[in-house]
Amino acid sequence: MINKVYQVPYGTKDILPGEMKTRRRIENAIIDVFDKWGYDEVKTPSFEYVDTFGSMSAKGDFRFFDRNNNLLVLRSDMTAPIARLTATRLNGGEKIKRLCYLANLYRYEEIQAGRQCEFEQAGVELLGASGAAADAEIIVLAVKALQAAGVKQFTISLGHVDFINGLAEEAGFSENQLVELKNCLRRHDAVAMQQMADAMQNIRPEIKQLFADLLFLQGGSELLAKMRAVVTNPKAVNALENLAAIYELVQAYGASEYLTFDLGLYRSLDYYTGMLFEAYLPEMGYPVAGGGRYDKMMQDFGLNYPATGFALGVDRVVLALERGGMAQAVRSWDALVAWNEGKLPEAIAKAAALRSEGRSVKLCTEAMDLTAAAAAVKEYCCSGLVYVP
Amino acid sequence: MNEYITIALPKGKLFNKSLRLLERVGYSAENVTEDSRKLVISNEETKVRFIIAKTVDVPTYVEYGAADIGIIGKDVLLEQDKDVVELLDLGFGRCRLMMAVPEAKRRGKLTDYAHLRVATKYPNCAKAYFNKLGIQTEIVKLNGSIELGPIVGLSEMIVDIVETGTTLRENKLAEVDSIFTATARLIANRASFKLKFARLHKLVEDLRVVLHEEEK
Repeated sequence: MINKVYQVPYGTKDILPGEMKTRRRIENAIIDVFDKWGYDEVKTPSFEYVDTFGSMSAKGDFRFFDRNNNLLVLRSDMTAPIARLTATRLNGGEKIKRLCYLANLYRYEEIQAGRQCEFEQAGVELLGASGAAADAEIIVLAVKALQAAGVKQFTISLGHVDFINGLAEEAGFSENQLVELKNCLRRHDAVAMQQMADAMQNIRPEIKQLFADLLFLQGGSELLAKMRAVVTNPKAVNALENLAAIYELVQAYGASEYLTFDLGLYRSLDYYTGMLFEAYLPEMGYPVAGGGRYDKMMQDFGLNYPATGFALGVDRVVLALERGGMAQAVRSWDALVAWNEGKLPEAIAKAAALRSEGRSVKLCTEAMDLTAAAAAVKEYCCSGLVYVP
Repeated sequence: MNEYITIALPKGKLFNKSLRLLERVGYSAENVTEDSRKLVISNEETKVRFIIAKTVDVPTYVEYGAADIGIIGKDVLLEQDKDVVELLDLGFGRCRLMMAVPEAKRRGKLTDYAHLRVATKYPNCAKAYFNKLGIQTEIVKLNGSIELGPIVGLSEMIVDIVETGTTLRENKLAEVDSIFTATARLIANRASFKLKFARLHKLVEDLRVVLHEEEK
């Protein structure tokens, strides 16, 4: 029998003093940005009935039974819980709802390349607004959140599911072929895309080439213009126009330098209905944030609300900042109040006075002489010493 | 670090061809050899860095972003299922994964091989193959000399890479089914592919031109 008393479960970790302070600072900065943009923070339970997630509950989820044999799941995603919350408790009232959250999520993953089984997300959901204005707000909010966290260099790749759906329609894809196409995009397999394109028949050569190039369709506005010249399917054309409109608005916010179009972008979560995006940092080999529009999700909860949002992986952002040397674990307090035998009441008064001035103070719990106190200051990470002789 | 393109090269069969192909599109450095003591070799002028890696480790370097791109066989990619971008089929290093049994022990149908032991260096690929056939087998993972399996009584079958088939014949093994054909692929890290897109896109296009010329 292995003694598990001292181990944390696979895929979880403790966050130590100093590290936690840095993390809290980043969390606060992000939530503060959300608040400044008009978002209400909400909190949902750490576990839900499996039914809430429906088909979204995947093999990797942590499931368990309650006392009535109902199947519960530790939440692995926040969009379903937020949808449930909105449908049950926030229905009615303001037409446009802005919600945000900071939550621990759970999924069984191989802990490689930064994935953990317990991971923290900071996210937003903008409900009740279709259209480019809402999408642009979400994208710029992601930019601002990353900047508030201290990230300097990043890029946001922006795509649209209807560009892909539209192309598939134009190519006359069957349901199975569309599924296969999405799998290739999810796996980022340009070779399989090339093979798929080669096998296509009765199709315009320009469209055939587009399929082969789909993962390489990255760039700025000139890319959209190029596509407009080639693509005729109405769904795809609308997607391009939607992207152009979003881009123009992001420009108005002054954030377009961070944006790149990536028309082959297809995220693992199947519920997107419009634009979708991912954010990449140079220090990390995988995206640190992602989101998009998902107008259909609310229907599962009996409502007809368009929705758009994103989530940011707090662990990944913290990791990136640490790697870039920008997030030092810092432990420091203003003053150590130490005291000689019998002088604790005065020391307490001294500490209280300092604290009411807004100082951070550590009060010794035992008497010590001045020499010992002077040595203790460094050990307890205080900037100064107040000694009561 | 960010201005460099770091390439993971696989030691072994693919090394020389990979190096020469990259040289043809302007990605080269001095003294890049398979047995080099220096495992990281840079070219300051062109901002290219080579990492010489064990073949099976190339996808790991690329997935983590330690290398922006790498060259690796599709067989290794299929076995490891790493989250990388597969950019281009480079065409060389062609090999085939197949199932073989001792010539004397051939059976009538593929499904007759159910519940037997399979020695292989590719347990994931083997499992997937037998799942598709709908039969259960016991996978015995070995790291080399797979043909020894049936000879020493470790397994009844093997799933292994074959090129000419000479090794099979010499060990009196007969190929019973072909599983897939694999060639060398150019792979990239997901973030590098977005952040260094212009350079990597150009590399892919230049390689396409070179490969096309070589075909003729």
